[in-house]
Amino acid sequence: MNPKQFIIAIVLGTALAAGTFFALRMQVPSEPEFALVLPAPNPVAEFSLLNQHGTPIDQTVFEGQWDLLFFGFTHCPDVCPTTLQVLAAAKATLQENGQVPLPRIVLVSVDPERDTPELMRQYVDYFGEGNLGITGTLDEITKLTSGLGIYFEKHAQNDDDNGADDGDDYAVDHSAAVLVINPDGGFEALFSGPHVVDNYVHDLPLVMGGN
Amino acid sequence: MRLSILLLALLLSACGNPKAPLVISELEITKPMPGMHMSAGYFVITNQTDETARITKVSSPQFEAVEVHETTVTDGISRMRELEALEIPGRSSVVLERGGKHLMLMRPRDLQDTVTLQFFSGDLPLLSVNYSFTKDER
Repeated sequence: MNPKQFIIAIVLGTALAAGTFFALRMQVPSEPEFALVLPAPNPVAEFSLLNQHGTPIDQTVFEGQWDLLFFGFTHCPDVCPTTLQVLAAAKATLQENGQVPLPRIVLVSVDPERDTPELMRQYVDYFGEGNLGITGTLDEITKLTSGLGIYFEKHAQNDDDNGADDGDDYAVDHSAAVLVINPDGGFEALFSGPHVVDNYVHDLPLVMGGN
Repeated sequence: MRLSILLLALLLSACGNPKAPLVISELEITKPMPGMHMSAGYFVITNQTDETARITKVSSPQFEAVEVHETTVTDGISRMRELEALEIPGRSSVVLERGGKHLMLMRPRDLQDTVTLQFFSGDLPLLSVNYSFTKDER
């Protein structure tokens, strides 16, 4: 091999190595970048609540499909509809991309005092078909939320004290996370805020599997 | 001095002067959700004077009450609180956006296609703007 052939061999070898490296790198399966996946799914606690049609439901309502759980309340004009819009937009994009399965969007009320099944029905229906609204008694809501590490607390709007019981003029502080529940009814992963459509579109197929 | 600026703001904004002391842009008001009696308002407000402007009251003929609220997320907990005032430093803008500062418009009264917002400092009117819902929003 003369010097010229040697140089050509070096250049070709380097190009081949670089090409192979980038090709392999692109083929490496992605990992979720935004969702925190639990080391092992955590079963949802037992509860007895109502869906948006007033039908009694329990923890088995989460079995058989992937669910995205958001905890909010219908009297919330800002962050709750914004988050549900993000989830609905992400689901629509996943559907356009041919993702199977698609997750169900679930709103769990942290204001069961005001959130009747009828209000929940109107609210969740606004964000598309097939959504689930959950409400019921405060005790049963707390069984569900505490088992998932979800915090919520009433806060009077026109009261500097932390006493929260001021008639109807109150908001509810609540966890901002969206939880992913697997078809076995296990808490699989969570998305912390801020909630961005592209984050869900990227990570949900990886969390849920499928094509 | 402050009173004169406020009066000037009122006069100029009322005249639709593009160099009005306070200018609102990117205004968006959401329609009340089905079954709900509240909306949210978002916009950018720019103070074109050298002095801080302080909005202490917002009203609308189309809503019984309008408040300035702020949503914050700290340690994963979302909290919404009413603000006593909206301060816009001189030569600056304040953004009211989803998940941040926003208007909360409560209990609509014969809400049709247009919402008028009136901004006050105390009892002194500063600015009045109109928002028309798009065809899709109606």
